Amino acid sequence: MTASSRNLSGALLGLFLIASAVVAVIALRVGVKRALAPPPPGTAPLSIPLVTAPAEPIQAEEQVFRTAPGVLAIPPNEPRERQAHPRTVKTYRFIRAFPGAPPRIPHALRPDEFRTAACRTCHQRGGYSLRFAAYVPVTPHPERGICLQCHLGEDSLMAVPVPAMDPNLRCPQCHGSGGVPRAAATLTWPTSVWPTIPSTTEGEFPPPIPHSLQFRENCLTCHSGPSAVAQIRTSHPERADCRTCHLTAGTDTLPFVRPTASGVLQTGSVP
Amino acid sequence: MSPFDRRAFLKKLGAISAATAATSVAEGMMVPAGALQPPDRQPAVTWKKAPCRLCGVGCGLLIGLENGRAVAVKGDPDSPVSKGLACAKGYYSVQALYGADRIKRAMVRQGGKLTEVPLSKALDLVAARLQETGQKHGKDSVAIYGSAQWTVPDAYLAAKLFKGALGTNNVETSSRLYAASAMAGLQSSFGLDGAIGCYDDIDQADVFVLWDINLAETDPVLFSRMLERRRVDPAVRIIDLAPRLSRTSYAADHSLLHVPHAALAIANAICNEIVTRKWAHRSFIADHIAFKRGKTGIGTGVDADGLLVDEPTAATWDDYVRFLAASDPDQVQQISGLAAASIRWLASLYGDPLRKVMSIWGRNVNQDVRGTWTNNAIYNIHLLVGKVASPGNSPFCTTGQPSGGCAVHDAGSLTDTLASGTVQNQGDRQHAADVWGIPAEKIDPRPGAPLLSMFRRLERGDIRFLWILATDPMLSLPNLDRYRRAATKGDHFIVVSEAYPTPATEVADVVLPAAIWLEREGIYGNAERRLQHFDAIVAPPGDALGDTWQLIEVARRLGFEKLFPYESKAAVEQIWEEYGRFHADPRSQLPTIADLRAQRGVMWPYVGARETRWRYNPRHDPAAEATHGDYDFYGHPDHRAWIWLRPYEPAAETPDEAYPFWLTTGAVLEQWGGGAMTQRIPTLHHALPHAYVEINDEDAANLGIRNHETVRLVSRRGSLEIEARINYRSQPPRGQLFAPCFDENHPVQRLTLDACCPISGQPDASKCAVRVERLTGRSGP
Repeated sequence: MTASSRNLSGALLGLFLIASAVVAVIALRVGVKRALAPPPPGTAPLSIPLVTAPAEPIQAEEQVFRTAPGVLAIPPNEPRERQAHPRTVKTYRFIRAFPGAPPRIPHALRPDEFRTAACRTCHQRGGYSLRFAAYVPVTPHPERGICLQCHLGEDSLMAVPVPAMDPNLRCPQCHGSGGVPRAAATLTWPTSVWPTIPSTTEGEFPPPIPHSLQFRENCLTCHSGPSAVAQIRTSHPERADCRTCHLTAGTDTLPFVRPTASGVLQTGSVP
Repeated sequence: MSPFDRRAFLKKLGAISAATAATSVAEGMMVPAGALQPPDRQPAVTWKKAPCRLCGVGCGLLIGLENGRAVAVKGDPDSPVSKGLACAKGYYSVQALYGADRIKRAMVRQGGKLTEVPLSKALDLVAARLQETGQKHGKDSVAIYGSAQWTVPDAYLAAKLFKGALGTNNVETSSRLYAASAMAGLQSSFGLDGAIGCYDDIDQADVFVLWDINLAETDPVLFSRMLERRRVDPAVRIIDLAPRLSRTSYAADHSLLHVPHAALAIANAICNEIVTRKWAHRSFIADHIAFKRGKTGIGTGVDADGLLVDEPTAATWDDYVRFLAASDPDQVQQISGLAAASIRWLASLYGDPLRKVMSIWGRNVNQDVRGTWTNNAIYNIHLLVGKVASPGNSPFCTTGQPSGGCAVHDAGSLTDTLASGTVQNQGDRQHAADVWGIPAEKIDPRPGAPLLSMFRRLERGDIRFLWILATDPMLSLPNLDRYRRAATKGDHFIVVSEAYPTPATEVADVVLPAAIWLEREGIYGNAERRLQHFDAIVAPPGDALGDTWQLIEVARRLGFEKLFPYESKAAVEQIWEEYGRFHADPRSQLPTIADLRAQRGVMWPYVGARETRWRYNPRHDPAAEATHGDYDFYGHPDHRAWIWLRPYEPAAETPDEAYPFWLTTGAVLEQWGGGAMTQRIPTLHHALPHAYVEINDEDAANLGIRNHETVRLVSRRGSLEIEARINYRSQPPRGQLFAPCFDENHPVQRLTLDACCPISGQPDASKCAVRVERLTGRSGP
């Protein structure tokens, strides 16, 4: 080959490569564009207006399909780092004044944490906390940012009767520097009746949901992962549609009543 | 190596190989795999397999029996349908056998009241009135309305008694109400009924397009399988194409909303885009497709008496392309409220040769005045791009009834069908006559009265004897009050076979106590053509008797012992063997009872001990011939699937000034059908005790309606007072309402319109136009 034809073929080769690259990029972009999210709705004048979805989804329906990132990051059947401070139904109830109450904060807060309510740094994802030697429970409602509005800590006046000292409590949690001993309870508070799951033969029925879904729409944050209360940890966290099998236990405790015989055949409004 | 070492070495080798068969449960601890299952804590409970009683998915369950009672349910891990899963209804289903107001004795209406009588007396009366009515008013003055909850033997015997013995084709089931358009769609597009693919498509598809189906609540376990597919392959996309946001929408990747009755237009627009962008599979079309036009302007079936017979005329590819020009996505946006860009995007998914697409639809598409056409149009999309009859590429219609998928109509229990073929076909009549041992002239070649016609004839007095089994038309028929009036006024005799008091038993002259499900032997067929057998494993209460034996007992009292010679212990087996003679052909061959007993159900066609999972595909279907290429659509004589040119035609009723809202109705997870069974199950009843109407929050604000307020819904047919809910479970867009129809205390069908698809006869029972009134009397703007 002569030098000039070599240059020419070189140039042609270069051109070919560039053209191929461009075509490949276009194909990729077109392919990706075809494959990814749908474009936003159009704005042409219409005889039937575009049907649009309501802006806010229903939390109780949507959240069950959302898994907070990191909740399942530590598979529940791996060996635990430490067995201290396992969360049990007993410790769960200990920090709640009544069923459905927002749990009080059972650990000390540094002053800067208290001021900035930096709770989500641990409670959004969970994981193991070296500071408290425990797995961190995950919030089912991370979108709510003003944690200390509902969740009160050791400095609160929301005195919950402490029937017995939890042997796992660490002294500095109450008597830390600047901390004060808890005030004696001056409240007569009835013993809470916690909802129980009716026992069924062999435990085979999927247990119904005994609690309100408000603020607790995302099942996995509490029912899976190493920080879950041991007794309510699910054996099948990978299934996404909890409410296909687990029903809310209705507040309507009346049995089914048929309409009266004459009511059935009435035309017009049902009484 | 010394002998000692060698022995120790071999021993260690043995231990290692045993250990490899074991499983680790915790660090350092090995147990043999079999020991992982804990022993039954209650050894008194025995477990028997059965298909679920509720819905058309056909999950495999294990029923726990103790002391003759069903006490527990497990998902059957060996079920290929449900793989160990069930939904809330399935788990609690056995409690439906033990409701407090179970009907245990036959009853006869005397002096306006139902009084208990011995069963034999009631059966005598039924047979006597049936005979008398036929003699006095002609053979077509009697009718039977059964159910897609029937077992196959029930359906088969009903057809044999009425069509073969009594010579009338007035035989119908609730398949007409829930699945007829699906059947007519398959019949017209492919020439044969029965799903093309199967549930395995869910495990293989890359894209799911759900056409107006709230799969999370109508077919929960299929929904679970679909989510599992996406969990395993996160590139899978689930698209919910529906009028409102439902529980399914929250799990879907994309929700595309449109107004009701727009599915046909959207399907045509998708085809338009596929053709425009040259994504059509031209060689597949050339080899395997024929184009057909049918009748247009076919009306809405209001007050029609029979089914419209369509007339196909040939068309060409160019005709089809010209036809599609009217369905440009921009124009369809005007009809449907779905953005043209979204339609184009959907078309791109169908047209992408690298992705397998599964379309799933059901009742809302089928219950429409153009239900058959809409089925055709969705098939058209798949046929246009060659995505059919192969794993993962699947236009798939589900059914909501345990036996409405493939069994009931195949047993000849619709007005125009026989156990194989149709009444109009001379060869099919002869075949039936040969199997039954009757003269062929006995079978009437004219189809009888399809569902709405049947009740209209009852209204007119042309039908004077009606036997209703395992379904509740007095709750589920659209324009309900008309048919309730028809059933209560006039000189006729109504027999109802039921397990619980329902609106149907209210109008009965005789009530026969029905055995449910596990109380009798039977076979169900689900949406994927899977036939599943179950034994009688609990005793029916009191005098309750299964529909199979009710039909036999009445037939014998009418003098047809020779046609109904079945022995009490082996009846189902004998009936099944007889029914099998109608299907001795690879296109529909049936398994034996022994096959069904040994396996977790078997899909038909069952040829050479193998299920046919994908039909029309020579690689999977022994009835398909490879001489026709990669596919053989043997349902049609030309061995082609047909693309029908079906234009958009408007709904029977749309919202207007006087009735400005769409009301749609359908199923919810916890309740099933008319609630006759699920309302008696305490957990299900408490989870969802009564119906409600869901209203968009902006609409509610404009009307001044608050959550939980009782409102009045008014349509041209009637009115209904019902609780309003806002943001409860689903979110209708502006201008739409949703109310579930399971609740006999709030019969939503009072409001709907008894139009139907003229071809399939399926009533358009799931939508109508209403207005909303506050109970103070003020109505909406």
